[in-house]
Amino acid sequence: MKFLTTNFVKCAVKSCDASELSFPLKYEECELQLQEHDFNPEFLISMLPRLNWDAVVQVAADLGNTTLPSTKPEGIEDNEQMLKDLHSLLLETQIINGKMTCRHCGHIYYIKDSIANFLLPPHLANS
Amino acid sequence: MLAFALPATYFVVKINVDADLMLAKLSPYYDKIYEPAEDSFLLLDLFEEIGATVANNKPRLVVELGTGSGIVSTFLNQHILKNAFLIATDINPHCCHAAIATNAKNAATVNFDSIQGDLTSSLRPASVDLLIFNPPYVPSPFVPTVPESAEDQTWLDLALDGGNDGMAVTNRLLQSLGKILAPKGQAYILFCARNNPSMVAEQFLKDHPSFRVEKMIERKAGWEVLSVYLFQNTASQKDR
Repeated sequence: MKFLTTNFVKCAVKSCDASELSFPLKYEECELQLQEHDFNPEFLISMLPRLNWDAVVQVAADLGNTTLPSTKPEGIEDNEQMLKDLHSLLLETQIINGKMTCRHCGHIYYIKDSIANFLLPPHLANS
Repeated sequence: MLAFALPATYFVVKINVDADLMLAKLSPYYDKIYEPAEDSFLLLDLFEEIGATVANNKPRLVVELGTGSGIVSTFLNQHILKNAFLIATDINPHCCHAAIATNAKNAATVNFDSIQGDLTSSLRPASVDLLIFNPPYVPSPFVPTVPESAEDQTWLDLALDGGNDGMAVTNRLLQSLGKILAPKGQAYILFCARNNPSMVAEQFLKDHPSFRVEKMIERKAGWEVLSVYLFQNTASQKDR
């Protein structure tokens, strides 16, 4: 799972829908891999407004990166270093294996072979 | 022998998908994933036809539910949407791996990911600009239960059987559509005639007055009549 994807996924348990704690999930015991991809600044510039920056900072911290600015960077069009850092973090950082925990209900989801699994066991699927 | 054969109709779509690479890479998933068929091709043909319009809307987050082989998401990534992030989901873990492989062999991998999940349950509300769903639409006595292990032989059943009227799964998605789409978000959903799509659309509009619904394409495919409907959230603000 790419780092960018962590900005769009939350706990799947229905009763967590109303809780702000269900997003982002807490990432632990993650095995990371940097997969090099072509740098596309245009993509990052267009995606940035759609990101929940607090979640980016929080997940990065979970994964051991505490160097991000606490507020969403502005005027990144001309800031090549920032764009390259974001490219590396959001698109090149892959979580190969790891676990994700809901801060509201405590349910644990697993990432295995780069695929995050959000299926719930039957007793949680309709609750 | 190529285990993952694409039907000849596939080549009606005049695009530059490298079929040989796709075949070789997908062969380990044969028997475990839904092979591209007339319903997949209907979506490809539709997006080929309206690709410029779809791209003009500049969707940022694109989600395909029940991606199967990943062919539709890969097509969008390769030919239509240059600056979107695509998440291809499926309840079947084999499909998630297949989708990544299909995309990697044909298009840029940088803005593409796949997760395993049940419809939109694990997605952040009001985040999806463009949603595509080719559901299990075949009427069946019941919707199969989700297997417990990856080795189970019944994963493929989930791609087909749609319960009563073939609408059990699509109805669940329709109920969450207002919540999951971003302001002005769009959803393209495939139906077969036995789903009674015009009635479904009429009822949906009654329940969701801020939406617009439009039939985009219809085609006879064997003994089925398939169609794709566009559900568009016209509200510019989140109204729910």
